[in-house]
Amino acid sequence: MGFSKDRIKFNVGGRIFETTATTLANAGRDSFFGALFDDEWNLSPQDSIHFVDRNSDCFAVLLDLLRTGDLNVPANIPERLLHREASFYGLLDHVRTAKWGPFDGNRLRLSDSVKGIAPGDGTAIRAGPDGGCCVAHGSVVHVFDWMLEEHSPINLDYQRVNDVGWVDSDNIVLSACERLGRGEGGMGLFSSSSGDLRYKFQVCHENQVKSYTAGALSFSPDYEIFASCKGRSNEYGIGVWDQITGKQTDFFYESPGWSLGDADKLQWLNGKNCLLVATLFPRKDNCYISLLDFRDKNMVWSWSDIGSPMAIDEKRVRDAIAMEDSNSICVVNEFEDLGFIDLRMYGGSVRWSSRSKLMKSKMPDEPCYPKLALHEGQLFSSMNDSISVFCGPDWVLTSRLRRSYGGSICDFSIGGDRLFALHSEENVFDVWETPPCPII
Amino acid sequence: MSNQKKRNFQIEAFKHRVVVDPKYADKTWQILERAIHQIYNQDASGLSFEELYRNAYNMVLHKFGEKLYTGFIATMTSHLKEKSKLIEAAQGGSFLEELNKKWNEHNKALEMIRDILMYMDRTYIESTKKTHVHPMGLNLWRDNVVHFTKIHTRLLNTLLDLVQKERTGEVIDRGLMRNVIKMFMDLGESVYQEDFEKPFLDASSEFYKVESQEFIESCDCGDYLKKAEKRLTEEIERVAHYLDAKSEEKITSVVEKEMIANHMQRLVHMENSGLVNMLLNDKYDDLGRMYNLFRRVTNGLVTVRDVMTSHLREMGKQLVTDPEKSKDPVEFVQRLLDERDKYDKIISTAFGNDKTFQNALNSSFEYFINLNARSPEFISLFVDDKLRKGLKGIADVDVEVILDKVMMLFRYLQEKDVFEKYYKQHLAKRLLSGKTVSDEAERSLIVKLKTECGYQFTSKLEGMFTDMKTSEDTMRGFYGSHPELSEGPTLIVQVLTTGSWPTQPAVPCNLPAEVSVLCEKFRSYYLGTHTGRRLSWQTNMGTADIKAIFGKGQKHELNVSTFQMCVLMLFNNSDRLSYKEIEQATEIPAADLKRCLQSLACVKGKNVIKKEPMSKDIGEEDSFVVNDKFTSKFYKVKIGTVVAQKETEPEKQETRQRVEEDRKPQIEAAIVRIMKSRKILDHNNIIAEVTKQLQPRFLANPTEIKKRIESLIERDFLERDSTDRKLYRYLA
Repeated sequence: MGFSKDRIKFNVGGRIFETTATTLANAGRDSFFGALFDDEWNLSPQDSIHFVDRNSDCFAVLLDLLRTGDLNVPANIPERLLHREASFYGLLDHVRTAKWGPFDGNRLRLSDSVKGIAPGDGTAIRAGPDGGCCVAHGSVVHVFDWMLEEHSPINLDYQRVNDVGWVDSDNIVLSACERLGRGEGGMGLFSSSSGDLRYKFQVCHENQVKSYTAGALSFSPDYEIFASCKGRSNEYGIGVWDQITGKQTDFFYESPGWSLGDADKLQWLNGKNCLLVATLFPRKDNCYISLLDFRDKNMVWSWSDIGSPMAIDEKRVRDAIAMEDSNSICVVNEFEDLGFIDLRMYGGSVRWSSRSKLMKSKMPDEPCYPKLALHEGQLFSSMNDSISVFCGPDWVLTSRLRRSYGGSICDFSIGGDRLFALHSEENVFDVWETPPCPII
Repeated sequence: MSNQKKRNFQIEAFKHRVVVDPKYADKTWQILERAIHQIYNQDASGLSFEELYRNAYNMVLHKFGEKLYTGFIATMTSHLKEKSKLIEAAQGGSFLEELNKKWNEHNKALEMIRDILMYMDRTYIESTKKTHVHPMGLNLWRDNVVHFTKIHTRLLNTLLDLVQKERTGEVIDRGLMRNVIKMFMDLGESVYQEDFEKPFLDASSEFYKVESQEFIESCDCGDYLKKAEKRLTEEIERVAHYLDAKSEEKITSVVEKEMIANHMQRLVHMENSGLVNMLLNDKYDDLGRMYNLFRRVTNGLVTVRDVMTSHLREMGKQLVTDPEKSKDPVEFVQRLLDERDKYDKIISTAFGNDKTFQNALNSSFEYFINLNARSPEFISLFVDDKLRKGLKGIADVDVEVILDKVMMLFRYLQEKDVFEKYYKQHLAKRLLSGKTVSDEAERSLIVKLKTECGYQFTSKLEGMFTDMKTSEDTMRGFYGSHPELSEGPTLIVQVLTTGSWPTQPAVPCNLPAEVSVLCEKFRSYYLGTHTGRRLSWQTNMGTADIKAIFGKGQKHELNVSTFQMCVLMLFNNSDRLSYKEIEQATEIPAADLKRCLQSLACVKGKNVIKKEPMSKDIGEEDSFVVNDKFTSKFYKVKIGTVVAQKETEPEKQETRQRVEEDRKPQIEAAIVRIMKSRKILDHNNIIAEVTKQLQPRFLANPTEIKKRIESLIERDFLERDSTDRKLYRYLA
């Protein structure tokens, strides 16, 4: 094939473009260009110009995207228009991958702020697998795709949403409070694009379907969903469902004197094949952290602050996260002091690394409790209006993400190579991204 | 909320969606529908992809996705209904071709339609969770063509007919077959399995059930296996040619079940052609085929192995218990080795060196070799024969091979100590008579025995070699210190360590004066260099070379035993001697003397003396003269060579007794060793442990062990427990 035969001319909305079949092949077979040049559509001779009835400015941007892999959008092109055009050509995925780079907590840049509509505090924000997110407050969950366009919200008709989680880019699981006497509440699977209810997860106790309140959620790579459950009689504990069949597969009943059904946080530990369950102050007067092995219904590790001296009330654990690589659990108190508990010892104590007594003096009026997240060896902790990033074996503070408006951060989440931070005032959420890789 | 406000809300909603042309959707769909028709009619050259893609895009954009989707399904369905009528109308052989042609057309069209509807595929279908265009197109083909009542069974029967034809030797269009079956696979695994694979397997099973019955009635085992193998490869080829690779396992298991598993016993035991026949006639190809086919089915190899084992045991039992065959020990062992070689070869060439078969071979040999109590003696005799003469002119490598094979047999022996006893005797004779051909081979065998049975087993054998070596040095020293002895007779002494050698206390005979002088000199020399030793002469084991001149001056060198020398030397001083005179002069024990005289006087061609009267046996009243008429072609004449012989019955008993005697201390040592570590043990366990510990050397007899225990109790090594009589205690 000669050099000239590779050349292709387009007339896009009146403007002439010249490119090569090689460049267009980068679009892939499942795109407008891929189909256009398939043998079945015996294309007219090479020298003729192919007319395409589309916007030429956007075509120029997308053609450059195919040429270089970089996305450069001139200020005069609205993002929505570009996305619309990319969607026509089947290049949306190309745009998304070019827009931001692989996640690195130390190189994050604020890319967008989305102002919320609903009043009041947000409950939770959860990053989706492909760059979207959802925000729960009250009985409504707002769903945003990666272009940060809002889809139909999920409305639960006055039931309070406790937690949200993404099963995949198209499915969201909600856990909600039971409404007395109505048999509603529990957990449901919703479509992220339309907001429709697809499935309701049920809890059975002694072969009877029970109504329940679902709390914290977690997912395992083996397609299992875990949720803390509170019923009215015996069905307190952690329920397990199969993501594919939707059927309840297991239930870990709460033992007396130990709280599971009220858990604030569940975390599936793949290496240990265990579930971390943490019930924390102020939901309960004491903190309970345990690891459950479902294979033999065994609590393989546990820690609680029952009986520890109350004088040091600044050392109340507010969030916990297990770090399998270092065999420990990281906890945080309301002053953002990090503490570590050794997972290899049964009933060990917290080793606090006190960093910032300074914070005590300037507590904001409406405090938000700190939250923790772990992503590829980087530890994130939110406090007031900023998020700290810790790295290395000794968890040294390496970065701090701060945005002046929006007030304290009440929740944040990492996923789809993005970090979403939900602020308590005005319900604004910030989107942090790593810029694409440098040119050289 | 007031009514007024509500109305406003509705008006806003109306403003929101404005469609300029109310017939927009219909018009656009008509364009696309026409295009789909054209594509199916293979008239797509005039179509503009850009225009069609844009129209489909616009329909989805303007919320007519549903209309587009249902329209596409309806149009495609109507086309496929038409096609299936055309396919159905095709007659005979063209039916499959027509189906294949239409299938290819449909695939092509589907691809193009998917291209046009790509935007709908990605957005509308994705968000509404409907079936995507391509799988939908396949489903429509499946429902409207493949499952169309007038095609469904006809298609299946046509395919099965073709397979049947191919099995009976006809040539079919494999390419077409492949394409049609590929269609089933493309339609999904369940379609392939339900609509083709399952009926195919059922038909195959039926076919092979009938055929295998036919074969087994008419063929011998070898032929049957050949046919089964052929069928199996045919089916594997068939899979490679036109079926899904996953079907291979299923169809082969059908063939295996019908052709092999169901007829296994009958095949193996088939008269005149079954397994035993193959083994007897070394039919490596047939055996290999049987192995390869039978290993595919459960219990196949077990069946083959069991039959082989029982045949081997039967054959071996006959071999070792047949008195005819155990007459010649060398041949007996050679026969065992031949059998082993034969089966080794069968296992390596036909049975793929299968470990389980090798184990079966070993256990069979172990079983029958020990059926004959004389096996250890015979194996030692075989080695003796080989090391005496058999190894001459054979390369070192081959020597090793023979020795290794002997070791293999040795390993099977249960009574290894009996072998040791015989081996020692035979080795002593070889060493003393200087008959061993290769020192290296001897040592190599000792090393092998050592690795097999440990240091203890061979320490005495090695001692024998050391004695031989030391004696050489001693002789050199002796003659070095007595230079005057270079004249006259030469004396070669081998000093043997008592205990290492199988010597019996023997009364020395009277040596001739010339020799006894020398002997005295040697004794004083030896005792002078080594203090605290005692020498006693084993005249019964020596040899001598003497020169003799007969009547007409014929000179000969006679190679004789020491006893014979003593007798012959007497004739230097007198012509005629009576038996009594000889006995008195030499003091040789009567039995030995008789044997000695017999070999000097009664063996034809070697009768250097004459006996009067002439008869076969030596009587006490006989007298002897020198045979002046003695002639021989050779200058050197060997007389009365002591050749290792198979033992006679009383000798055998004696050896047996000695072995039993030797076992006693070993059994006692084992008991003491075990009790020392255990302190207390009951009878059954002690028997078991002693047996286990002694197994590498011999199989201990429980009654003998019991006797030894009694003896140890008598000597206060052990005691019985006062409460439980079955328990023994160790007394430190």
